[in-house]
Formats: sequence, C-alpha cells, structure tokens
Amino acid sequence: MRHHTIPRIVTKLLIPVILLFGLYVQFHGDFSAGGGFQAGVIFAAGFILYNIIFGLDIGKSILSVNTSKSLMALGVILYLMVGFLGILLGGNFLEYNYLSNTPINGQLLGIFLVELGVGLTVSNVMVLVFYSFNDISEEK
Amino acid sequence: MFVKNLFSAIMATTIFSLISALIFLLLDGVDVSLTEAAVGAGISTILFLSTLKHTNVMVKESKTPSFPLIVLFLLLLGLLSFAVSDLPEFGKFNQTSNSQVSEYYINKSKTEMGVPNVVTSILAGYRGFDTLGEVVVIFIAGISVLGILRKRKSNS
Repeated sequence: MRHHTIPRIVTKLLIPVILLFGLYVQFHGDFSAGGGFQAGVIFAAGFILYNIIFGLDIGKSILSVNTSKSLMALGVILYLMVGFLGILLGGNFLEYNYLSNTPINGQLLGIFLVELGVGLTVSNVMVLVFYSFNDISEEK
Repeated sequence: MFVKNLFSAIMATTIFSLISALIFLLLDGVDVSLTEAAVGAGISTILFLSTLKHTNVMVKESKTPSFPLIVLFLLLLGLLSFAVSDLPEFGKFNQTSNSQVSEYYINKSKTEMGVPNVVTSILAGYRGFDTLGEVVVIFIAGISVLGILRKRKSNS
C-alpha cells in the first residue's frame, strides 16, 4: 500500500497521535476515561495501521513475533507478581495497600502496575493475532 | 443478514460497531465506547478482511430458510421479548442493583483508592481478581490463535 499517496500521508500524520493517545489512555486511565484494556487496543490498532500501510516486514523489524510473544506473557506475569507481592508484604492476594508507605499510594502504584500488565498483554495479543492471520494469507 | 456480498456485510458490521460506540458514548460509558470503537470498528474489521482474503469466498450462497427454522426464530424472539419486560426500568435509582454496591463504590472510591475514575478503581482495585481472570482469558485466546494457525502452516 506504500504507493498510495493519500493513505500513506494520512497514516504518517495520524500514527503519532494514535500512539500518543494510547499512552495517554494507559497512564492517565485512573483520572480520566480508559485503562489498560482500552490503551492496549488503541496502541495495537495504531501499530496494525502502520503494518497495513508500510508492509509487515518493516513492522516485524520494529516488533518481532518473538518479542511480542514475550511481552504478551510478561503482562500476565506482571499482574500476578503484583498479586503475590501483596501476600509477601503482609496482605491478601492483590491487596495493594501494603505496596507503598501509605495505603493510598499503594493503591495508586498497584493499579498503575496492574493496568500496565493488562495493556501489555492486550496490545501484544492483538498484534500477534494480526501477524498470524496475515502469515497464512501470504503463504496461500 | 440480507447482504450477499461478504465485503459489504463486513462493512455493515463495522458501521454498526461505530454507531453502537456512539450510543455508548451518549450513555456516558466512555470506556466501553473506546473499546467498541477500537476493537469492533478497527481491529475486528481488519481480521475479517484478512480472513476474507485468505478464504477467497466473496459471495454467500443464497438459501431459502426452512419453515421450522422460522418458527424457532419467532419462538426465541417471543421468549426474549417476554424476558425484556421483566427487566428493571432503565436508570431507576431505588432498586437493589443500583443502590447497594454501586453506592459504596461511588462514595468510597476517592478515599479508599485515591482514584477519581470509579470504573478503573472497580476494575483494577475492588474487582482485581476478576480482571486477572480476564487478562488470562485474553492471553489464552492469543495462544490458541497462534497454536491453531501454526498447526495449519506446518501441515500444508
């Protein structure tokens, strides 16, 4: 699709905005609308748009399949680690009150880390599904 | 349902998703609206289109629906409409589902969590265990897609 001028230019203009909006939804999710799931999906949509316009080869050189797989697992592991950290620091599973000096700070830190895990997993699952769908179509 | 060309069926699904995202926005469900716009209108359209490209089937076979199927459809429609009449009135304040837990969340979220967005504090805080399950479900779904598509690759 790289030889179509209008999609290429519009994509070039839009992708920074989409990715920035994804990061905003991720890290500002506890103060405004959104959260990990929404951010991950928006981020993945921006990346998939890039792949569609500029080709899968360039996309895979930015985020390879193996990196994507590891990041996908890392999100779940991060979530679980926060849960078990709560147990180690003297609370229940996924109890964030003990993560920092005051309960409120602990809650903020816990929610931040958990949302980060959700965002990582969701965005990488979306990208991986997109990759594997297109690997098959290329082969046929 | 009435479209024969699969491409236009996919486009109709996308437009439907976009409209329902707008409806969610009007109902103040911004989080759901964001998800619907990105997943329903964005990524699933792309996945549908790549499936279409993969299968090379463009036109649906036209079949006249059989009589028992129509009867079953009407029966299910009647049952659903009957069940809808039993639902509580939309947005009514003093009913159990709107007055017990949600009131607690709305009042305590700021002091207990320090997070102004109640949706986030419920999803990641009060119902953190449910969200963990949700993330694991997404993870397993991703692994399954990888597994299914890889198996076919090695066979061919």
